[in-house]
Amino acid sequence: MDTLLTVTNLSKEKILHGISFIMEQGEMVAVMGPSGSGKSTLLYNVSGMDQPDSGAVWLKDTEVTSLSEDEKAELRLNRMGFVFQQMNMMANLNILDNILLPAIHANKGKDGKKKAQLAAKAKKLMKKMSISELEKRKITEVSGGQLQRACICRSMMNDPEILFADEPTGALNQSAAEEVMAELTKLNREGTAVLLVTHDSRVASQCNRIFYLLDGHIRGELSLNQTIDAKHREDKVNQWLGEMGW
Amino acid sequence: MLKKLIWNDVRQNKLMSAATVFFMTISAALLILTAILMTNLLGAIDGLMEQAATPDFVQMHTGEVDETKIENFAKSRSDVKDLQLSLFLNLDNSRLTLGEHNMADSTQDNGLCVQNEHFDFLLGMDGELPEVSPGEVYVPVCYRSKYDLSIGDQMTFGDQTLVIAGFIRDAQMNAMMASSKRFLVSASDYEKLKEQGQEEYLIEFLLTDTADSSIFATAYTAGGLPSNGPTITRPLIRMMNALSDGMMIFVIFLVSVIVLMISILCIHFILSIQTERDRKEVGMLKVLGISRKDVRKLYFTKYILFSVLGALLGLGLAAAAQNPLMKQLHELYGTGDHRVASAAIALLAALLTQGIILLSVRHSLRKTDKMSALQAFFQAQKKGRGLTQYILIGTVTAACTFLMLVPNNLYHTLSDSSFVTYMGIGNAELRIDIRQTEDINSITFKIAETLKDDTQVRNYAVLKTVSYQAVSNDASAVNLTTEIGDHIAFPVNYLEGTAPVKENEIALSILNAEELVLSAGDTIKLLIDGEKTDFTVCGIYSDITNGGKTAKISGRNINAPIIWSVIYVSLDQSANSEQWMEQYRNMGIDVVNISDYVRDTYAQTLNQLRLASFAGIIIAALVIAAVLVLFLRLMVERNRYTISLHKALGFTCAECERLYFWWGILPAVIGIAVGLLLGCLCGEGLCAMILRSFGAYGFRFVISPLEALLEIPLLSLMIAALAIRLGILDIKKIKAYECCTGKE
Repeated sequence: MDTLLTVTNLSKEKILHGISFIMEQGEMVAVMGPSGSGKSTLLYNVSGMDQPDSGAVWLKDTEVTSLSEDEKAELRLNRMGFVFQQMNMMANLNILDNILLPAIHANKGKDGKKKAQLAAKAKKLMKKMSISELEKRKITEVSGGQLQRACICRSMMNDPEILFADEPTGALNQSAAEEVMAELTKLNREGTAVLLVTHDSRVASQCNRIFYLLDGHIRGELSLNQTIDAKHREDKVNQWLGEMGW
Repeated sequence: MLKKLIWNDVRQNKLMSAATVFFMTISAALLILTAILMTNLLGAIDGLMEQAATPDFVQMHTGEVDETKIENFAKSRSDVKDLQLSLFLNLDNSRLTLGEHNMADSTQDNGLCVQNEHFDFLLGMDGELPEVSPGEVYVPVCYRSKYDLSIGDQMTFGDQTLVIAGFIRDAQMNAMMASSKRFLVSASDYEKLKEQGQEEYLIEFLLTDTADSSIFATAYTAGGLPSNGPTITRPLIRMMNALSDGMMIFVIFLVSVIVLMISILCIHFILSIQTERDRKEVGMLKVLGISRKDVRKLYFTKYILFSVLGALLGLGLAAAAQNPLMKQLHELYGTGDHRVASAAIALLAALLTQGIILLSVRHSLRKTDKMSALQAFFQAQKKGRGLTQYILIGTVTAACTFLMLVPNNLYHTLSDSSFVTYMGIGNAELRIDIRQTEDINSITFKIAETLKDDTQVRNYAVLKTVSYQAVSNDASAVNLTTEIGDHIAFPVNYLEGTAPVKENEIALSILNAEELVLSAGDTIKLLIDGEKTDFTVCGIYSDITNGGKTAKISGRNINAPIIWSVIYVSLDQSANSEQWMEQYRNMGIDVVNISDYVRDTYAQTLNQLRLASFAGIIIAALVIAAVLVLFLRLMVERNRYTISLHKALGFTCAECERLYFWWGILPAVIGIAVGLLLGCLCGEGLCAMILRSFGAYGFRFVISPLEALLEIPLLSLMIAALAIRLGILDIKKIKAYECCTGKE
């Protein structure tokens, strides 16, 4: 497998201390750890939303940490996708327009046909996420799970190489969380790498690898064989977390 | 997508969008209006002066003239393009009737003339040179609306009747501030009436483009040419013409500048509320990879669209408002063809206003630019009512009260009888003018004797005007129109020093003091009866009469010819001034009430000023209402959770409303008080600055206590209270349970 993401000696204020790891293409990696361990800060610094004090992040052959703010914005737009705990969307747009927003922006200046193609793609994604009927709805008219699936659709519109997810199921009930995770794993199986931050061992157990972060250091790493059944994987994760002092 | 985002944003924030467009519209409309009026006024005046071939230098003279000597002087000078001696037949106002109106109460020197041959033409309403037939008269256009005259009406002088055949525009004497008015008659009628009036010469010169009129004036005096009367120059004529409408334009300009500042403040506030509210969305866009430039574009495009709409509406409003405001201007100076210039200047003004507003919007958006994706996304939204909002309410009400007050104070000052003291006229009740008669000295003496024995007269002062030469160190001389007599009884306004009391003291008008580079304490030599006499400058005063170049010395024997005499009179409180004037007019004495004189002289200006002042009040009231409704609604919206919590805890709706009412009204009351203070203090300085350019120095406001201290603040307060009540109406709609549903 080819290397997708390389993080070297990443430090940020007193939160992250010399973090290094590599992610392969198509991998799904979870970052776990207690509150204040630096999970979200790691995600923001790796994705270029924040600038680390030292260290480097490479997305394939692009050094993310050396880019300007505008270049990082362009990188996030075209090569990364984001899903957050809070389902943030533009209140002024309906669900379909919200999904289309980054795609239209990335394809600015293209002709109408291209826009029509984008709309078709958005609808296809919505169908895949089982939210086709929500196209014209306002964001206040749908449930949290539906909104999070719409956010996943939005994040996939520009065919990102990697999807960053910060507690994607944190604000959802159990059934909605399962639905969202099912969609994320489906996307991962189709080739999109996923780096997610979570508290939930059940969510983490669906990943290939888990990093355990404590006081800004990676204290442990667990590889999971996805061929074994979900229950066993979850038990294994819980046992490992217990060993880590969780 | 951008279109959709903007459109949806506008739909969801109707109030803020409407308020933004309102501020952009009103700022644009006012500045466009100022620009259009100014272009039209100056264009029309210049056009009229050009068409009428207005002279560059006019010496008025009563008495004989040596025409050959004047012609030789003109020939000897390379800066003289043309010379013309024209005659003005001064009529006795008490014998003159225009339509139904007897002109006895007129403070103007009304007289007849025939059309000039070379220049200084009196033009018809279509710019033509009227051909006057015997029995016809063309009347100055400024009298048309004043006395409700129309073609076919009659003008009578003594037993002679002339039919009004039309109206004329006189570039030189159009303005009511010019103290003479010329009626155009045929040569035969002029000859017929010649014996019934007093002739005065207008010695007029057209100078070359490069000529310096002050050098020419000095040479004219040095040449010993006729100078028994005031001197008028082309810039003075232009200024007199510009004054009446200029004052109104100044007020509109003042209003437009203040409204523009208020608009910038309010739009900045609206924008900051919106960006604060959209903080998470902005953060999300940045996280998704939308560049700073594009996020800014999202907001800026909306403001550009608002601005285009504001400019268009502003242009429409200004176009609708210009006609009533330009009515007088068109009447006096003609319409001219300024459409292209007006349109260009209006567009420029619209661009300027919107440019300034958009620059301020761009500046405000920098905050959004600087915010990183994470800051925007995760930092808590600022809560609370915000001191800025209170400061803004206070500032806006202060500025609006200022707007209501200053034009009003200016109007009252100009219409007050004491304003004459800034014009170089004594602060008296009545004024008797003795001019254009054979023996001014003896008539003055006779009237003074009558006044001395009149028990109804409390006090009077005789002032005789002669022309003395002031000799400077380099032996060059200038004519000084010098008023001799008692300057203490009815003093003018002294900017510096005091009135002359001692024999060797002289007070100079500000224009003379500036021209001669003299101030109080300096000495000046006057050539009196062939002898150079030293005088000490004891005071400098404000004067806009007789070209503004005058001097005053105390009573002494006069051997020089008297140009005119003025007697200021004040009557006993028991006297009826109307009856008293009637009695003296019957004796053939030209007596006027000084407040009538002011009203006559400033009638046009005062009318326009009243109009502008009224418009200022309406605009200020609208702005106070718009700002307070908007701000209070936003305040309620931002504090929705708190209000809901209050209600959940048992506060009644009325209690919540009362709380927010006080939060709104307190800064408004402070603002009104500050506005009153600023209006009376800074407003005076601001108006003084403008009036100084018109020749009135040392200006102090005459404040109408009823309007300034009661009506205006009360009006502001009532509008503020009403607007606040409207702004907090939404409190009723907030439910007590909202705070439990996590809307915070």
